[in-house]
Amino acid sequence: MSAWRPLAWVALFAALAAAPFFLGSYHNDVFRKMLLWVALALGYNFLFGICGQIAFSHFAFYGVGAYSIVILLFQFELPFAVAALLGLALCALVALAVAIPSTRLEGFYLALATLALAQLFIVLLNEGGALTGGTGGLANYRLPEIFGVRIAGPWYTVLIVGLVALTFGILWRLDRSWFGRACRAIRDNPEAAAAMGVNVARTKVIVFTLTSVLAGVAGMVYAFVDNTVNPPIFGLDNAFLLLFMIIVGGAGRHAGAVIGAVLLYLAPFVLSPLIGHHHVLVFGVFVLVAILLYPRGLIGIWDALRQRLA
Amino acid sequence: MSDLLEIAVSAAASGCVYGLIALAYLLMIRPTGIINFAVGEWAMVAAFGGYLLLTQHHWPYPAGMAAVVAFMFLLGWATERVAVRPLVERGAPLLAPILALLGMLVIFRESISVSFAPDPHTVPQAFGFGRLELGPIAGSYQSFFIIAVTLVVFVGVWLFFERTVAGKSFEAVALHRRAAALMGINLSRVTALSFAGGAGAAGLAGLLVSPNISAHYLMGVPLAIQGFTALVIGGVGRVEGALLGGLVLAFAEQLTARYAPIPSGFTQGVPLLFLMLFLLFRPTGLLKAKA
Repeated sequence: MSAWRPLAWVALFAALAAAPFFLGSYHNDVFRKMLLWVALALGYNFLFGICGQIAFSHFAFYGVGAYSIVILLFQFELPFAVAALLGLALCALVALAVAIPSTRLEGFYLALATLALAQLFIVLLNEGGALTGGTGGLANYRLPEIFGVRIAGPWYTVLIVGLVALTFGILWRLDRSWFGRACRAIRDNPEAAAAMGVNVARTKVIVFTLTSVLAGVAGMVYAFVDNTVNPPIFGLDNAFLLLFMIIVGGAGRHAGAVIGAVLLYLAPFVLSPLIGHHHVLVFGVFVLVAILLYPRGLIGIWDALRQRLA
Repeated sequence: MSDLLEIAVSAAASGCVYGLIALAYLLMIRPTGIINFAVGEWAMVAAFGGYLLLTQHHWPYPAGMAAVVAFMFLLGWATERVAVRPLVERGAPLLAPILALLGMLVIFRESISVSFAPDPHTVPQAFGFGRLELGPIAGSYQSFFIIAVTLVVFVGVWLFFERTVAGKSFEAVALHRRAAALMGINLSRVTALSFAGGAGAAGLAGLLVSPNISAHYLMGVPLAIQGFTALVIGGVGRVEGALLGGLVLAFAEQLTARYAPIPSGFTQGVPLLFLMLFLLFRPTGLLKAKA
């Protein structure tokens, strides 16, 4: 059985990569954005579900990645590789600047600081003048050739599948290393983790920076999905939605993150004929019910069902 | 110099609003350890309450204000009942009620956004438009009203904690939950009261500030950020710290807006900057908790 595991994973990602060639352009768009939500949810789950840190900045870093690649490529006309590396360095720098002060103390200072950061990011985008395009954002650009190759149409969706696979691969390996165990220990009992020799503050800083950079990478990929970046996309509403995806799906489990992301991303398509644009209110109720009655989320319900059947 | 005095009254008034929000956080954090991000939404709900009673139904200001504050006490109590108590009784980790309150935040915000039109709604000032001059310092009636109400609230809360047995029981719970329970203090009553009081303070802040910024369903988050920054500046341990932190933050914001050569929107970065600086260099805040 376990020998077939890697093969099953390859088959799954191959199927995901093949799907865009059978989808029309509208469904391709929906599929791409769903995959991006999955990538974001996987990263956020590592920070929130596995390491137990609440932050509201994940979506802001998605925005930092998207805006920085567009600005560096088209306003400063840097080569692609340089722009991408500088964008990632910027994500890492901002993440370190926020995480180092706010993880020094016990308590929820990271949540406070990242809420302020996420709010400030939107203000900076709106007030950024020609550099950020103000409230209208930036548009009318398209992906340059990367090392002589032009990626377009379904092939860009394949690239996004690659992003999800890469994100998942990195996080899965980390989760199974001493580092992942240190993160879980910090979530469950920081004092005990410290007593076991885990450097609690440094681990939190590393996890926050790593997951923020991953969000930045996803943002860079997103920048060429709609070929426009504007402030409302990266606002706090989506930051809350991401948190809700993890809670509803099941915090601390990769599968839970995927289920939550797919479900809450697709829900408005199903719900909007019934309740218009009020699905956020419904999500709020979902989250409250999940925390009060099903703290382990949908994946927890699935586990319980499987146990009963076995 | 006259420039500075011109700023002083309006900055003090904003500082008082931040102080009230900080007080709301503090009332809940001290006995429970729970940081409630929904305080900004409470302020927002109260502002809409003010719009409903004072603007639409033309209630006299004192009656409208009393009704809004009473409603906020009830809302805080109900929030605790729904989103906090079941989790505390089950012995869930501290993170669980904080997340449940985030769910409540979204529910409050979306309920208001569903019920009212999305444009800003005006809320009247307590004494109408007007300017009061006291020697060199001058400001609007509303600014002086905000300062006066806030001082009354802070003196009241301070007396409650220092002079009454009920207040002492709060402090005992803050110091040691289990020991306090063994001394016969009713933990769930203290928690319920702290949420009711927190909603009252946050609601008052929302009602007082709403004539200046108008009631809008997105007004909560900025207030929530300014409030907890004020709390970190002042120090989480002391009631006076909340007010002091609010005043420091408001003066810093207004001086930046006045003198720094940056676009006015960038002054919204002041809270984050102060938060980082205080967490780095003075994590206990300006006022240390009493031993």
